[in-house]
Amino acid sequence: MSALAKYRHAFLLGLQSNIVYRWNFAIRALFSLFHLAFVFILWGAAYKGQTEIGGFNLDQTLTYFVLLLVMQFFIGAFNEDYQISEEIRNGLINQFLLKPINYYAYRFSIFVAARAVSGFLALVPILCALPLLKDHLVLPHDGWRIALGLPAMAMAAMIQFTIAYCFGLLSFWFLEIQSFIILSLAVETVLGGQMFPLDLMPPWFFHLSQWLPYYYQMYFPTAIFTGRLDMASALSGLALQAFWVVALLAIGHLLWTRGLRRHTAVGG
Amino acid sequence: MNLLSYFRIWLACARYSIVRTMMFRFDFVMWSLVEFGWMAVNLLLIAVIYRHTQDIAGWTKYQMLLLVGTSMLVQRFIMGFFWSNLFEMARNIRSGHFDFFLSQPGNPLFMVSTRKLDLDGIANAFVAMAVVAYAVRELGLTPSLVDLSLYALMVFCGILINYGALLMIVSLTFWLGAAQGIEGSYFTLMEFSRLPRETFRGAANVIFVWILPAVIVSNTPARALLHGFEPVNALWLVAATAVWLGLGVSVFNRGLRRYASASS
Repeated sequence: MSALAKYRHAFLLGLQSNIVYRWNFAIRALFSLFHLAFVFILWGAAYKGQTEIGGFNLDQTLTYFVLLLVMQFFIGAFNEDYQISEEIRNGLINQFLLKPINYYAYRFSIFVAARAVSGFLALVPILCALPLLKDHLVLPHDGWRIALGLPAMAMAAMIQFTIAYCFGLLSFWFLEIQSFIILSLAVETVLGGQMFPLDLMPPWFFHLSQWLPYYYQMYFPTAIFTGRLDMASALSGLALQAFWVVALLAIGHLLWTRGLRRHTAVGG
Repeated sequence: MNLLSYFRIWLACARYSIVRTMMFRFDFVMWSLVEFGWMAVNLLLIAVIYRHTQDIAGWTKYQMLLLVGTSMLVQRFIMGFFWSNLFEMARNIRSGHFDFFLSQPGNPLFMVSTRKLDLDGIANAFVAMAVVAYAVRELGLTPSLVDLSLYALMVFCGILINYGALLMIVSLTFWLGAAQGIEGSYFTLMEFSRLPRETFRGAANVIFVWILPAVIVSNTPARALLHGFEPVNALWLVAATAVWLGLGVSVFNRGLRRYASASS
């Protein structure tokens, strides 16, 4: 079986198993509309009496948050870390050690399938809310934003997944990794620009954040699409993003090989 | 069983929780950091927004800090005393392990709600208190003992309202069964408790201020510290406490009648 065919099957299996959880994704997407309502109310009140915050008007900021929400469902890691951790703890990982399959590629294929399902399901409530949202959506029409934004989005997905993968692999060393994951999520929420656009932070902090992988998870592709970054920043950002993809893949590989040395497979 | 017996059971559960926490000290430190981290995220949001604006719906930075601190205080107590218990209740209903609580010689709701204490949540309640105290100092407020007692009472009402709402949401598991993650909706709802009441207009005002108890649990105690005791708001809070606690308990009791265990 060719390498591509193996992972195509993993992708198709992932697609099927995630469609089983369609209602979970749909409910989650529905609740995220409430979060969007929170964002609209808070920022709407913050903009009272002024037309711009950080050089952007209210609609531009709201568009940022709407697109960020869509991004989360298309490229965000949900519980991949937990699934990997469970496979290690329950010994299910043993089967992959005996087969000619790359565990990272297998898991990544399933991740892509899961995000395809959750992404399109999330569009349903957002499309339903579109009549309320559409007056606030202002997207720039520059063609280069699509050309640079799409690869940024693809690499952001890889960064998201690889960080989750690394956290999952911590199960080789720790019995319980849930607290690590949720703590890291808090850091990602801030440094990934999910709480507020990173450009609203003090300039020194914004520059510092650009050197960290979190910046390239959500903020970077969203900022390209919504006009918060110019072409030069987008191009240099893409280079740094590519560096982080490679660096995280290397860390993941290191954790996998080191972790396997500690791993004890018991039973058949 | 009389009240004293229930208190003794609660004490025994609390003692067990403390011993268990001390056995897994690293876990305790990590989970305390997790909660602290999320509180810091919310405070950072306030700090960033107020870098660019003077007020939000008439609330200055430190007034907002007082509001967010109060919202955190209510939530930390919920996390400390009830969250794990109710979260596990949903899981136990799905798995059939809920039988364990029904076989105990006590009120099932009490048994379910008080089995565990999360010391990390309680520890972070002190952090939330520090946030409130800091905001009070920066605002130059000098609340009397009576003001502080009234504030504490209102926060207690807020805890009961949150408990009622959470219990109601979790009790829906008796009907929904497989709908995992329904508990998460509680956090979505409580996000609104960090906003001033004045920011809500139109439909949002009807939903989050009048129908759902998200806004009053934090706004009423915070306003009492800021502007003095307002009897109408306090009465509203007490009425909401009775309604939401009543709703939670009655949905739980109705659900209990539906519970048919699970095959082993």
